[in-house]
Amino acid sequence: MAFELKSTTAKKARTGLAALAIILSSTVAFAADKLQYFTWSGYELPDFNKSFLAAHPDGVEASIFGDDDDAFTKVKAGFRPDIAHPCYDKVARWNKEGLLQPIDTKRIKNWDSIFPVFKNLPDLQAGDGKVWMVPWDWGNTSILYRTDLVKNPEASWNLLWDKQYAGRMATIDAVHDTPIVAALLAGVNPFDMTPEQMEKVAAKLREQRPLLSNYTTDMTSVEQALSSGQLVAAMTWNASATSLKKQGVPVEFMKPKEGMLTWACGFVMLKDAKNVDLAYDFINSRLDAESGKYLIESYGYGSSLSTAFAAVPKDELEKLQLPSDPEVMLKTTIFTGPMKQNDDLAKMFEKVKAGG
Amino acid sequence: MSTIVAAQVPEVRSSSGFRIGMLLPGALVTFLLILFALALVIFLAFRANDGSLLGAGFTVANFITVVSDPLYWTVTLRSLVIAGLVTFATVVTAYPVAYYLAFHAGRRRSLLLFLVTLPFWTSYLLRVFAWKIVLAYNGVLNSALIESGVWSEPTLAFLNTPAAVVVTLAHAYAPFAILPIYVALDTIPKSLIEAASDLGARPFTSFRRVVLPNSMPGVLAAALVVFVPTVGDYVTPALVGGPASTMIGTLIQAQFGKANDWPFGAALSVAVMLVILCVVLVARATDRRFGSRA
Repeated sequence: MAFELKSTTAKKARTGLAALAIILSSTVAFAADKLQYFTWSGYELPDFNKSFLAAHPDGVEASIFGDDDDAFTKVKAGFRPDIAHPCYDKVARWNKEGLLQPIDTKRIKNWDSIFPVFKNLPDLQAGDGKVWMVPWDWGNTSILYRTDLVKNPEASWNLLWDKQYAGRMATIDAVHDTPIVAALLAGVNPFDMTPEQMEKVAAKLREQRPLLSNYTTDMTSVEQALSSGQLVAAMTWNASATSLKKQGVPVEFMKPKEGMLTWACGFVMLKDAKNVDLAYDFINSRLDAESGKYLIESYGYGSSLSTAFAAVPKDELEKLQLPSDPEVMLKTTIFTGPMKQNDDLAKMFEKVKAGG
Repeated sequence: MSTIVAAQVPEVRSSSGFRIGMLLPGALVTFLLILFALALVIFLAFRANDGSLLGAGFTVANFITVVSDPLYWTVTLRSLVIAGLVTFATVVTAYPVAYYLAFHAGRRRSLLLFLVTLPFWTSYLLRVFAWKIVLAYNGVLNSALIESGVWSEPTLAFLNTPAAVVVTLAHAYAPFAILPIYVALDTIPKSLIEAASDLGARPFTSFRRVVLPNSMPGVLAAALVVFVPTVGDYVTPALVGGPASTMIGTLIQAQFGKANDWPFGAALSVAVMLVILCVVLVARATDRRFGSRA
């Protein structure tokens, strides 16, 4: 009896080990020929690249970041995805570090449908029909506020500095958002400033710190806090406005008189990408008009494709506060381009957040 | 005689082979994962930041900034205070649990020990998020207080405060405190307590004069095990702390992340290590005064 018991345990253990070995070896085998995609959280949805997944089932493995400055240091430190998804203002920085390889626009089948305003961005040009980044999405940063808890506010970024809402506001923990707004309010050019001007920006940020509930890039918790009423106003991107409105929360995405921030992001290919062909397939799939349409309708972000905009009904776009041509938008907003003092601003912002 | 010597030689050889085999993993861990990593941090701390991975040129400017900027003193002090409060809260709540386990648990002891370690079965992040749910504006605690009529409106006073950081960390580190105190209490010879009562000590007196002093090494060990990692914690303040509870770990992490200044981050880490070293030395001196039973 005892012997029988032992042998069944041994058998079980052996089967278990065999199963474990199979699982381990299969993940190792698959990981190598899967496309490694490093992106903002929420951008890994399979609906954005349906045709890619149809051709390569289970062919992509996504890693997530909450801020592309953090993503940059992670890649610099040795993390090697095939493609990544930073925003335009960071491209020059990634490039300077020698992390990127140029992307051949001849292999991007919908390249001609991309709005010229994005195609012609100076930092993208790698010469010879090649680019450093293929633009995919763009959107706005502004204040999302509860219309029932903040009554008829002045349309200004100053709302996030309003003492009567102390402790019930949040802002985005990223250099290309909060410090830019502080610079605008301090009357300083956010993209190029002297040390004295940076001190002015720091003073503005210091003034805001005690009024904030937190600095965060976790948009899910910001949305939850806004819908529960814990927060009455927060700096967010379009997607939060779209999602809360869909849930029926009384919110409005402000059009500040100083201008919303407009950003554009896209795909870059890492220098030592192992799956270059897969990467091109993936970018092409993401540039299907259908994928762009899904981005517009589900998140309220702009697609870089004119064909995607053509596929969305006019009244839907109006509801989402998106013009059908980004150039119209850019006339009234501030485009987040590269910031000359990005690193100094980042250090200063970190110090202010800690109370310095 | 000679046969005995001959017989001993291979045995010595095999035992030294055995010893090398036993020491190898430990040596690898010590040299590669601890000493090499530490040397790298110290090396980096003396480099100037030029955006590259290992910096350029040698400088002490990083340390001058750390010492001369009052912000780093403030934040270090804040971290020490928060970690001190966490340690105090953890040890004070862990002691009765350990006491019960050591003296009164009886047959239920192994079950209780198992329950103590149960929270470790889930990820630390999940436990932090659980506290977020408890402390949130429309969370468990606020709802309960409103239901019972203590408050009519939910309060913002729980989440995004230093108090939230203390509560969350104290919960997370509870088992680390319970186990060393339990071991210290369990190894106190029962005859000592009997002798105390034989000499007419009331239960409280024998606790104060026999049990507590004898368990002090365990208490100090628990305090160190809780204090050292919590000083540098950065996930918890980021998730439940709000701007007023930024700790030194958050600042160090930011240097390696957004701020992209690794040498300065390394210098901050070295400075914090020195501060913690001082605290540990003080604790060891205290330990010696209380008379460690080792």
